Amino acid sequence: MSNYWPWWAGALGLAVVTINYTVTTDRSFGVSSAWERVLQWRAERRVERMEAQFGDDRLLTEALASATAEHFGTRTGAPTPPYPVSGAAAAPGPQGGPATSEPAPVASPRPAPLVSQAALLLSIFLGGWLAAVTAGRFDLRLDMGDGFRDLVTDSPPHMIGVLFVGGVLVGFGTRLAGGCSSGHGLNGCGRLHPDSMVATAVFFGAAVVVSFLLWKVV
Amino acid sequence: MRTRGGVLVANIIAGLALGFVVANIGFGDYAELNRMFTFQDLRMLLAFGGGVAMIVVVFALIRVRRTPGRVHPGVIPGAVLFGTGWAVSGGCPAIPIVQVASGYLPALVTIVGIVVGVRLCRWANARYFHLDVGSCGR
Repeated sequence: MSNYWPWWAGALGLAVVTINYTVTTDRSFGVSSAWERVLQWRAERRVERMEAQFGDDRLLTEALASATAEHFGTRTGAPTPPYPVSGAAAAPGPQGGPATSEPAPVASPRPAPLVSQAALLLSIFLGGWLAAVTAGRFDLRLDMGDGFRDLVTDSPPHMIGVLFVGGVLVGFGTRLAGGCSSGHGLNGCGRLHPDSMVATAVFFGAAVVVSFLLWKVV
Repeated sequence: MRTRGGVLVANIIAGLALGFVVANIGFGDYAELNRMFTFQDLRMLLAFGGGVAMIVVVFALIRVRRTPGRVHPGVIPGAVLFGTGWAVSGGCPAIPIVQVASGYLPALVTIVGIVVGVRLCRWANARYFHLDVGSCGR
């Protein structure tokens, strides 16, 4: 395929998308966390309703802390450590895992609203479709292209199996690592976050090893 | 642009642009992806690396606020699983959406897999790992 963009145009495009988003909203975007939040929409809606009720972060923290204390019957003076507001829905169960004692990042911005995360996923679809149509690449098909057929499998049932297992690994892995190629790779590396740089190096390295195996061995 | 409506508009713009750019770079094309990961063709690698380099420079120049990030125990195993899944299926969380939008209907299966994987991770984390894995894009 020769009608893909040259590398500098792609680099410029990725940079402009990320920088524009960061400058206009003072946030990072991440596709895997958009997936997670859209899939957990019930819990997210609950958190959003609570946040709307308590317009103030401090009030919300205090209310959550006192509710927790009430629940466990261990009311203490000051509500410490602050309850991680942004991860309220993801907090581990009442068994008291070690993670609960982690202090929350105080200055983290509020999570982007649920609706906007769903809009991000839908817009990616629309943007991809526009690109395919305008470049004359749109082609409705039941396979994944010659590359996939030559390198992975040419049998449709195997293809379905490989895509499903690959998708599960991607979904599980990105959430365990806390981000994907957009959240860790573009936004996190751009901000020189240590976890993002480690994650990007590792997922890229793993993909290189597996791709070589597919190319040379399988 | 920091109100609810503003973030919604920003997400729509970012999604449209990201989908358009990612598709035009060729990330949805499995053959191109394998050529990138095996260093047979450096075009997409340079697009990604060049993009990150520009972001680093601009973020440093405009002094973008740094939120704390730490390497928790889930980062490395999670990244290994993700990299493996990406190389095998050709999809990171955004790419199957672009693939379906380009007409590759089997990528719907990858999307189903991602949905299952995300839910599985949440369940496994609450039950076994108890990690505060944090989240990009917040």
